[in-house]
Order: sequence, then structure tokens, then C-alpha cells
Amino acid sequence: MSDFNPKIVAFVCNWCSYAGADKAGALKLNYPANVKLIRVMCSGRVDPQFVMDAYREGADGVMILGCHPGDCHYRTGNVKALKRYKLLKKTLSQFGINDKRLKLDWVAAGEAALFQKVVNDMAETVKELGPLHITGYVEQGGK
Amino acid sequence: MTNVEKPKIALFLCGCSTNISNLIDLDAIAEWARKREDIDIIEVHSLLCSPDGKEFFKQEIARNKPENVIIAACSPHQHEVTFQDLAAEAGLNIGHIQMVNIREHCAWVTPDKVKATEKAKSLINAAMMRAELAEDIEKQTMIANTDVLIIGGGIAGIEASLIASKAGRKVFIVERDISLGGEIIKTEEIAPNMACAPCLLAPRLSEVRDDPNITVITNAVVTEVLGFLGNFTVKIHKKARYVDDSCIGCDACFEVCPVTVPSEFNLELSTRNAIYTLFPGAVPAMAVIDKDICKHFIDDSCNACIGACPFGSINFDEKDEEIVAEVGAIVIATGFETGDPSVIEEMGYRKIENVYTIREFERLTCSNGPTGSKIKLKNGEEPTSIAVIHCADSLRENGIPYCSGTCCIRAAKVGELARKQIPDVRVINIHNDLVFTGPAANDFYRKQLDGGTEFVKTDHTSIKIYERNDKIAIEGAGILLEVDMVVLSTGVKPAKGTEALAEMLNIDIGKNGFFQSDHELLHATCASVDCIYIAGSAAGPCDVAESVTRAQATVGDAISKLVPGREIELEMMTTVIDEDKCGGCKLCITVCPFKAIEYDAEENISKVIEAICRGCGTCAATCPSGAAKAKYFTDKQIFAEIGGLLNV
Repeated sequence: MSDFNPKIVAFVCNWCSYAGADKAGALKLNYPANVKLIRVMCSGRVDPQFVMDAYREGADGVMILGCHPGDCHYRTGNVKALKRYKLLKKTLSQFGINDKRLKLDWVAAGEAALFQKVVNDMAETVKELGPLHITGYVEQGGK
Repeated sequence: MTNVEKPKIALFLCGCSTNISNLIDLDAIAEWARKREDIDIIEVHSLLCSPDGKEFFKQEIARNKPENVIIAACSPHQHEVTFQDLAAEAGLNIGHIQMVNIREHCAWVTPDKVKATEKAKSLINAAMMRAELAEDIEKQTMIANTDVLIIGGGIAGIEASLIASKAGRKVFIVERDISLGGEIIKTEEIAPNMACAPCLLAPRLSEVRDDPNITVITNAVVTEVLGFLGNFTVKIHKKARYVDDSCIGCDACFEVCPVTVPSEFNLELSTRNAIYTLFPGAVPAMAVIDKDICKHFIDDSCNACIGACPFGSINFDEKDEEIVAEVGAIVIATGFETGDPSVIEEMGYRKIENVYTIREFERLTCSNGPTGSKIKLKNGEEPTSIAVIHCADSLRENGIPYCSGTCCIRAAKVGELARKQIPDVRVINIHNDLVFTGPAANDFYRKQLDGGTEFVKTDHTSIKIYERNDKIAIEGAGILLEVDMVVLSTGVKPAKGTEALAEMLNIDIGKNGFFQSDHELLHATCASVDCIYIAGSAAGPCDVAESVTRAQATVGDAISKLVPGREIELEMMTTVIDEDKCGGCKLCITVCPFKAIEYDAEENISKVIEAICRGCGTCAATCPSGAAKAKYFTDKQIFAEIGGLLNV
């Protein structure tokens, strides 16, 4: 299991977390190459179907990273993301997916070290869980 | 190329000097890309953002006319706009341009060159998958009205209206009181410099009155606001004055009016008649008849004012008026309300004689005040001692919970004002906290100490005020003293009607009840709806200087956004709702942070007002039928990106 490099997809909001990842880059703060980012304008844009689709397409872990509560560029988009996240966590087990494979966190534009830490922690967590073998039925994505 | 079909995708790989090319094998990526059928043009450039690089980029697009362009380079936060602009100049719609961040998110965080190259491939692959689904995004503009409505005619509203007028805008200033001036007109000296408020205000009031660009609407309230961003229709209810504008505000009618009631302007420390002005020289100068108490209106038993008026200005038949104003921006300058210390039982306010609020004390010192500027006790004598209680209603659970930050300096002014008239008077300021921010305020505090004001610290919540030996006793933790007069320093509360106005304007209120800024640091004077602004203390307690500064800021933003002859550029990446797919469930309306979606009951669909939409896409994530589509971030594009990222 030690050579398992989990595939992680992180949905990052344009204003805080994407910029936090940029800063991590500027400071050369390394993290596993299998952590890949998808830019959305707001964490509130993350449809639960995106998360499920990422697992279906082979992600072992999914992250949603947004602005800290109160700092959202769109006022409350991140709060909507949080509400959906809590519901989605509960739903995951019904699909046979350990809910630790989904993580929502807040990373500000200046928090490069925090960005590195949350993605490394997630990579570590998912590495311990091992590769995701979907046992339940994961609905085909696309509306 | 032999065929005339448009190339599908052009891929530009930027070496970023050596920042990328040393860490990612761009040639290997180019080779990998060349094997793909979906990429027709592959260019590797050493520095695409250099003048040479930009020219190269633009010419390549103009020459080959690809359907989509992918630029694998630095972060879009660095150069997305650069390349969007260049591509647009070369004739490509910006919906077909994507930047892939292979620098910050790849080269710089992946020390292993092989892994970094593989990661870059997957990021580019995701963009390719996405490119197939790209759609045009059109620039949207809107014609805007450039006129300005100002609600509230205090110092902030006056400042805002003058600046807007100077910029050539038509201004409507709506004041609910019968003349302009707001709170500041009730005082005469402003700390720390004891600046003369009427001297500051009078010339400005005349300027407003005489400015042909400014329409002053007093004795009036805003009753309805429709529209958005640069296009508001505002209904104003103007109450009848029963006195026309031939009135010059002389007092001939006051003398014959048989009705007297407590004067609001003098905080009920004196009386006014049923026909009155706030004070001599008010703007507008004309008097007003208080219909609720005037004997003519009650039982038709009096017409005294008609006989007394030398100008024939009285008109009992005048009717209330509905005024409609079309404006592009709205500035809220509704000011504040001073706290009411009667909520704190122990302060003895309104129960014990000679216990005043700071506001009432200031009226005593004003030349147009109830005592003609004399600081006097109710028995007509001068006080020999005055206690000033700081935080009389503030920083307490049952009063104002916060520190207003502006009252300490006002409270410290009591000593300065009192000693001017009564040099030997003893003034004791009793406080828990003392807030004098900035050098000028601090100098003022030291000046009061030097002048003889005593500052005594005690727990302000322990203070009890009661009558004893014909004096007023103040008892608190570790203190007991007797004085002739007590001045209660009260905090600053949101103005009456703040909530109703917020509801009418569809804007947010903060936790302390003041209008909420869109962003406390960057847009402190912008309300939560575009083109609605908050000047003065409507946004929270502030002194005169800050009030004026905030007013200037509001108009600065408004006139730079709304320029005659120029259309407003709207957010391009908005969300749109497909009418055929929408089921009218209204879930999107409940999640939209900007109230940018409205429900059309007739058609049972929700519609995005694109002028308000800022493109967060929260509605798109919520919509159960896939009707809400976030431009550039459509569901299909993101699904394609996920697939592309994970399956190279």
C-alpha cells in the first residue's frame, strides 16, 4: 500500500483558495502531483454531482476549498457549500464511500502553508484508506 | 493545411523563461499533443507574456483562427486578462480561451520533473475536454441613469449632493424633517477643535439651496424603490406644508398661533407652535403647519396665521405630493439616533431634574437653544458642579452593547463648554473606558485635564443616580459625590426607520443594526446592492470628518461608475436560467446571495437579472433540473474537466 498515490481532485474557489494555491506555488511548497485542482468561481458552485462524478472518474478523494466564512467573495456562497457538504457526507456512506474521502476546508489567498497542509493531510488520510473501489451505484454525472 | 476547416484547438505552451521549461518537459508535452487528433496547432514559446510573445500569440490566432485556445502557462490570476484581451483583438470570443496553470499549480510544487510533466498533461487534457464544450460569452452593457438620489439631509447628505452636482449630476435630496441639517445642526461646537458647526454648515446649505442641479425635497420620505444598478425608480411621498415658497420664515405667524407643543428641535426643552420652523435661517426657510395639532384642521376654529402672514403664504388646501425620481445611484445618508438613557433605570433620566443627555446639554449651549446658550439649572441658577457619565447607556446588556467610539470626545467637551460660561464650575467625567483615538482627540483630552476637568474611573454599570440634599448624588464602585447637574453621555444607534429602508432597498443590515457594507475594508461605503451607497453614520458611528469623507467616497464611486454617455459593463460570467428546463421551484432564489433571481408567476419560471448577478454559480449548483447555467463554468464543462483530469 505504501506506493499508493491517491488521486485527489480539489474544487477551489477562484478568489481565496485558488489564490492560496498560487501562493503555495510561488513559495514552492510541495504537495503530491496527484492532487489536482479545478477552479470554480465560488465553493458554492460545487454541485454534489461534481463530487460524485470525480469518484466515478477515479478520484480516491475529493476536496472543496473556499473562502473562510465571512470572507466569501459572494457573501454566503461558502455557507451554501458547507450545508451541502454536511448533507453529502451523510450520503456518501450510502454509496459505499468512506466520508473521509471528502473534505471541505477554508483557505484564504494568503494561507499558502495552510493550503499545503490541508492537501497533504488529505493525501495522507486517503492514502491510509487505500484506493477507492466503488461498491454501490454511483449515478452517471451530467444533467 | 489543405482543408479549410477551422482548427479545433490551438495549444500554447509557455516556458516562462526557465520557470516552467526547467521543471516541466515541454517538448515531451508538445510531442504528446501532436499525437492527438483534437489539437491542430501546438506552439512552444519561451515567454508568452513578453512583447514578442504577445505579438506572436495574437498573430497565430489571427492567422489560424482556431475555435479554441489553450494557454498552458502561469496562473490565470497573472495573465488571464492579458490573453483574453489579445485573443479578443485577434477575433476570438473569450469563452473559447482557457489558461492552464502549469506553473503555480504544477511546476513549482512538484520537484520531480517526470511527475510534473505528467501532471501538466492531465491539466491540459482537462482543458481540452472542456474546450469542446466552450460557448461564446458576450460582453454585456447597460445604459444607466447618472443622476443621484440622496436620502437624508444631514452633513453627509449635503456633502454628497454638492459633490454629485459639481460632477454635473442631477441630485434629489430627500429629508424627512422639515429642513436640512440633520444632527449636526443641533450643536454649535464640535470637538476637538471646537469648530463652529453653523459656520461649517450655513454656506453649504445655501449652496444646496441655490444649486439648480439639486432638488431639495423636505418633509418627505421614500416609499418605494424599484429597479437596480444604474436604473432605479424611486417614489417619494412629500407631505403638504400648507405654506408655500413665498414664506421667508419670519416669525409673524408664530406669535399669533394659539397652539404650543414641545419642540422636537430643542429636544422638548422649549416649545414650538403649530406653525413653525426648526430654527431661524433654516433651509428651506419656509414654515410648516403641523396638521395634527393645528386648530384649523382640528375644528376649523382658527385662521390666525393667515391674518398675520405678510406674504399670503398660508395655503390650507395644499395636498401631499407623490414625486417620482429616476436615478442611477442611491446614497443613504440617514444618520443615526442618539441612545436613550431612560432604558437604564439607575441613570434617573426623566425622573430627576437637571439630569440631561449630552445632546440636551449641547442644546443648552446653543444660541438658538432653549436657554439662548446659557447653561442653567431648572431653577434658573448656574450649576456649580457638573458630572458627566460616560457610557450611560453603552457597553451594557440592556443598552447599546458596543462602544460607539465617538461619544468620549463629545462628553469631554462638557468641561470646555461649561468653563467658558462658568469659569469656576467643577466638572467631573466619570468613566470606565476612555476612547480618544488619534493625536487630535488625545490632545483634546489632555487640554481638558489641564483645564480642570476631573476624570474618575469606576465601573459604569455600578453607577446609581438619585436625589439627595437638593443635589444629585452619584454613587458607584468606590465613588460617591454630589453635583448640581448630570450629563449622560449616550452612544450612537441606527436611525429610526433603518430596517424599513433596508427592506425597501433590498439591502443588508449588520448585526448592530446599521446598514451593512458590501466589504468592510474595500467597499466600506457600498451597500450590499450595486449602486446603493452608505454615507455618514448610517454605516455605523463616526465623527463629522469621517461622515463627510464617507459621503465623498460614495459619490466618488457613483460618478466613476455612472458616466453620462457611457454604458455600464456588466459581469460577463453570469448565470442564466433556461426557461424550457426551469420548473419554477424557486430553490435558486433561496440560495442567491445577491437577490439576483426573480420569480415570474405568470410563466412559473425563475429569471436571472443579469445586471445584478455576479456569477458565483451557487444557483447552478442548487438547480435540480439543470436549468441554471453558469457561463464558462457549465455543468458539462466541469464534468468534462473532471474526466479529463483523471483520465489522460
